[in-house]
Amino acid sequence: MGIPPLNRRQVLAGLGGAAVAGSLGFATLGTGADALASGADVRVRYWNLFSGGDGANMIAMLDAFRAEHPGIAVKDSTLQWGNPFYTKLAMAAAGDRAPELGVMHLGRVAGFSPGRLLDPWDEALLAKYGVRKADYNPVLWNRGVIDGKLYALPLDIHVQLCFYRKDVLKKADLLGDDGRMIQVTSTDQWFDVLKKARKVQKKGLQTIGLWTNDQNFQWWFFVAFYTQLGGQWFNDDTPANTEVLFDADKATQVLEFFRQHVTDGYVIPGAPTGEQFINGAPFTWEGNWSVPVFSGAKLDYGATPLPPVFGKPATHAESHSFVLPHQANRGGATNEAAHQLAAYIVQHAQQWAAGGHIPAYTPTLSTAAYKKLTPQNEYASAMDHQATEPKVWFAGSTGVLAQDLGPMVVSSTMGSAKPASVAQRMKKELAKLLASKNPMDGTTAAQGGAVA
Amino acid sequence: MTTTSAETVIAPVRAKAAASGATVRRKQGFQHGGWFIAPFLLLFGMFVIWPLVRGIYLSFTDANISGDGASFIGLDNYREALGDQAMWDALGHSAYFTLLVVPCITVLAFLLAMLAHHIERAKWLWRLCFFAPFLLPSTVAANMWQWLLTQGIGLFNETFGLTTPWLTDKSYAMTAIVIETLWWTVGFSFILYLAALQGIPAHLYEAAKLDGANAWQRMVHITLPMLRHITGLVFALQALASLQLFDQAVAMMDFGPGPELSTRAFVQYTLEQGFTSYRVGYASAMSIIFFVIIAAVALGRMVLLRNREEGGR
Repeated sequence: MGIPPLNRRQVLAGLGGAAVAGSLGFATLGTGADALASGADVRVRYWNLFSGGDGANMIAMLDAFRAEHPGIAVKDSTLQWGNPFYTKLAMAAAGDRAPELGVMHLGRVAGFSPGRLLDPWDEALLAKYGVRKADYNPVLWNRGVIDGKLYALPLDIHVQLCFYRKDVLKKADLLGDDGRMIQVTSTDQWFDVLKKARKVQKKGLQTIGLWTNDQNFQWWFFVAFYTQLGGQWFNDDTPANTEVLFDADKATQVLEFFRQHVTDGYVIPGAPTGEQFINGAPFTWEGNWSVPVFSGAKLDYGATPLPPVFGKPATHAESHSFVLPHQANRGGATNEAAHQLAAYIVQHAQQWAAGGHIPAYTPTLSTAAYKKLTPQNEYASAMDHQATEPKVWFAGSTGVLAQDLGPMVVSSTMGSAKPASVAQRMKKELAKLLASKNPMDGTTAAQGGAVA
Repeated sequence: MTTTSAETVIAPVRAKAAASGATVRRKQGFQHGGWFIAPFLLLFGMFVIWPLVRGIYLSFTDANISGDGASFIGLDNYREALGDQAMWDALGHSAYFTLLVVPCITVLAFLLAMLAHHIERAKWLWRLCFFAPFLLPSTVAANMWQWLLTQGIGLFNETFGLTTPWLTDKSYAMTAIVIETLWWTVGFSFILYLAALQGIPAHLYEAAKLDGANAWQRMVHITLPMLRHITGLVFALQALASLQLFDQAVAMMDFGPGPELSTRAFVQYTLEQGFTSYRVGYASAMSIIFFVIIAAVALGRMVLLRNREEGGR
């Protein structure tokens, strides 16, 4: 890209970057040679984006696979989550230097030019190693199917949850006989619960953490409650994705619901959500990846899917999925080994569930070991009530859709714009996105044919 | 800057010398100088010239991030960019930041330099204190201020008894970045001013004192006019640096565009277009537009300065 005149700082940074890149290059060469020299017959290169607790769990699963399959050398590389990862994956696939196996967010697959940058899975090979469509929630499986072919094999779903402090709710008499939070099925009930909790909670803390300033969380929550209302995005009859079916009235309802948390004083905008929860705030809405954090803090807490305040249960879900980045001559032993590795990890996701994610391979969910996991066993039902973004090229985790609409939701929740006018703006933006072309292949959502 | 005036003096001398032994000098010049500058030229070509040329080319295509399948689309990217409200908003944020930072930093750097210049005890300590933050990497400085300003647990609000949502409300977010930037970068301008202050001949002040000028008069009639050039330089350097606002803003906003996009600077929007939306061609076109804006500011200042100097003579 055209770069404005450099200053000293940038030049130094550039030189430093070049040096680091150089040394990394050599480092990669070194490990590559090691992997080849280990005596294995086949090598599977596997790129993922898991760091922290997820990273440790993934490496443990890979080590288990390595121990059982000495003939397959797994060379795993952990890259930085988000845009750097997708950039590298796209460039590698386009330049035919792609690894055998990769990980992507399922919502991003439709925009990643399946067929050109991604290769389809061989379902017969997957079945040979024990993974079939029947083992999956059909809706989830079909999200990975584009033009009739499977491009993404889900490892998990990760969902937005309502975390609650049992010690606080007990005082407010908000726990049922099973020790879990009482069921809430309307907005009135929900605010009643908040009101009761506020009376008994520690002073100076907020009652609920809502990530009111965060465009990603606000967007995920919006998707969840808009889906609870039965809201649609685009038409799915043929020709699909030609018409915006976004319901501004339903959207307004959701936005007003969010806003009321702020106007009624249940939220301190900008207060750190997780920290306040650990310190005693009764509720927080977070992704299930906060489970290890709260469990690590030894809290007496529970977690349910976001409350079905509009009647129908639904909570936002994204999914880490295995993909096959495009290789010009994919096939043979390495490709089979990639299938084998993915199938193995999908089936041995017990450890993965410890990170809070819900394993996509449903037989895992009915094992005794999984049923013993708390609070995982309390929200595993979210598998059957997934609220997802529309299956279009501009969707997906931190993708264009979230980037454009997320700030609008925030502006309504924070009170700098009226819910009704924000809903109209969202609708307009959706129409604009629907008409725009996917930079990866120059087609619009309608032309892309990204429908199962 | 000063190079133009130096050129006019040196050029005739150079021309004469060149005429006398051009061939010999050129050969020697290549043998020695050429090799010395080769590493620089190589890097300069690889990381400045080539990306620039490539960027101009890409801006006329619909290239995506994967690098294949780009086709020529003429001026479409430019046409779209000029009609893109989000781009103008982002440019507005960069300009707003510049308008806030540049005057503040100039005045503050001058005051700090005066202080450090006139203070008698522990001179080194003052200089070190004012300059040290500039040595921090941008992410470190930004992260520190993020903690200082975080609502509920930050030292800043705690100390002043405030509850201001510095980082999470769109009416404060840019101010927070301005405060951080002032603290972090004022040291650079401070050093320029300090050096200039030390360069003012003492006899000027002595003469003024003999004529009965008080401290205020000495500052207004001697110090400030003698610092005119350095003020111009500080102003220009800060303006160019501020327009390119990026690293501290994204680091303080957790790599997002700030509350309700309020701190999304031009550079960040360009990056998003290229690497979130995968539209490298479009992002290139925006970079070129930005390049033109920056170049216009730099040229505008040069022209302004030259006119003023010529008028003064």
